[in-house]
Amino acid sequence: MDFSFLSKYWPYYVIGAKNTILLAFFAVIIGVAIGMLIAVCRIGKDKPLRFVSAAYVEFIRGTPLLVQLFIIYYGLQAIGIRFPDIPLASRVLGINFADFMAGVITMGINSGAYVGEIFRAGIQSIDKGQTEAARSLGLSWPKTLRYVILPQAIRNVLPALGNEFVVIIKESSIVSIIGIADLMYKANTVRGNTFKPFEPLLVAALVYFMLTFPLSKFLARVEKRMRTHD
Amino acid sequence: MTDTPAFEPIVKIENLHKHFGALKVLNGIDEHISAGEVVVLIGPSGSGKSTFLRCLNLMEEPTYGKIYFDGNEITNRESWKKGGLDRVRQNMGMVFQHFNLFPHMSVMENITLAPMKVHSLSKKSAEEQAFDLLDQVGLTDKAHAHPAQLSGGQKQRIAIVRALAMEPKLLLFDEPTSALDPEMVGEVLQVMNNLAKRGMTMAVVTHEMRFAREVASRVLFMDEGIIVEEGSAQKLFSAPENPRTREFLAKVL
Repeated sequence: MDFSFLSKYWPYYVIGAKNTILLAFFAVIIGVAIGMLIAVCRIGKDKPLRFVSAAYVEFIRGTPLLVQLFIIYYGLQAIGIRFPDIPLASRVLGINFADFMAGVITMGINSGAYVGEIFRAGIQSIDKGQTEAARSLGLSWPKTLRYVILPQAIRNVLPALGNEFVVIIKESSIVSIIGIADLMYKANTVRGNTFKPFEPLLVAALVYFMLTFPLSKFLARVEKRMRTHD
Repeated sequence: MTDTPAFEPIVKIENLHKHFGALKVLNGIDEHISAGEVVVLIGPSGSGKSTFLRCLNLMEEPTYGKIYFDGNEITNRESWKKGGLDRVRQNMGMVFQHFNLFPHMSVMENITLAPMKVHSLSKKSAEEQAFDLLDQVGLTDKAHAHPAQLSGGQKQRIAIVRALAMEPKLLLFDEPTSALDPEMVGEVLQVMNNLAKRGMTMAVVTHEMRFAREVASRVLFMDEGIIVEEGSAQKLFSAPENPRTREFLAKVL
């Protein structure tokens, strides 16, 4: 095995890792926002909202991420929806901003379904007496959720949520297919340029691991700290 | 109804029924509670005492029947909209068997949450009020503790303070001492006794017959979803008229 290509091509991995992190970061934000909304709808009293949120979760979880990505990337263009191209953002990313957005939104929508289920389980794990106590004091349901249920639920779901962040970093490699210059895409470029089919992939795997491993270690520490504060 | 209320009743219950599917838990209750009264509900388990109490603050939705609180019908579903239901509960506190303190908050935060978020009280005045109330139950030194650091009796006293902080017109107690170790029952009953002396209107589901005897203005004996017999503790305990009351009291006294 020969890794001498790294002396010339290491910046490819740096740019790729940067873009993977950016993609995952925004996908997580969208995913958590959607997930919170989905969870609240799923446990709420409103039947149409409950149906729509349940259908969302089932559909997203029951279809491949690759299909979802293509639907967003090609399908929206086909029906005339195009993400705005912001030149400055494109330059910072080194890729077309509109393409990047398609990737972020797909990952966010996908993750939202899983995060929604995580939050729902977390909310439902809180003792019914907590809701009763808050409501008996005259707090409305939204205030009960905000001040009493969610702070406890988030603590409970932190391990599962952390795992979901790690999954997003890994699964985001799929956006390389639509030409977003993430870590996987860059590794493929290196393979093509160096005529080495194998070694650049090993490096990519290692870089992915260097992203996910410290993240899970960090999340484990946060979790432990929260435990001891109980 | 043998007793004539001295004042306009603060709560009036008419033909209250509650069914859980095929299970009929409450089967027609007519009752009233006057301001300043301490009404104690006793009866065998499964008799519907707790369900009756939980219907009063609409924690359980009555199947039919009417409840009036402070002159307004609160069983009218239309009135629950736009925060109507919450406003009822702001005036009717509840103390639970398992305390249900918020474990992620300090004692102080537990007490001030509702006054601050519902009545928009400033943090400063909410905390001043909380200290006053904590002083009444002898727990000012626990203001910054977390629920996990408290004994059962302390938790329940804090739960009472939390309910009192909303300045309710009526306080419901759902078996407040049933989850406590025996040596902690006294301190909670003492707090309730003090409240009664200060004129707080209370409805209490309990198995503490001594409390009923010493504090209750009226004792209701429930069985199979109806009020079988009621009267002063003195009368009910010494000369129960109904055979079911007699049978129950023979077991618990």
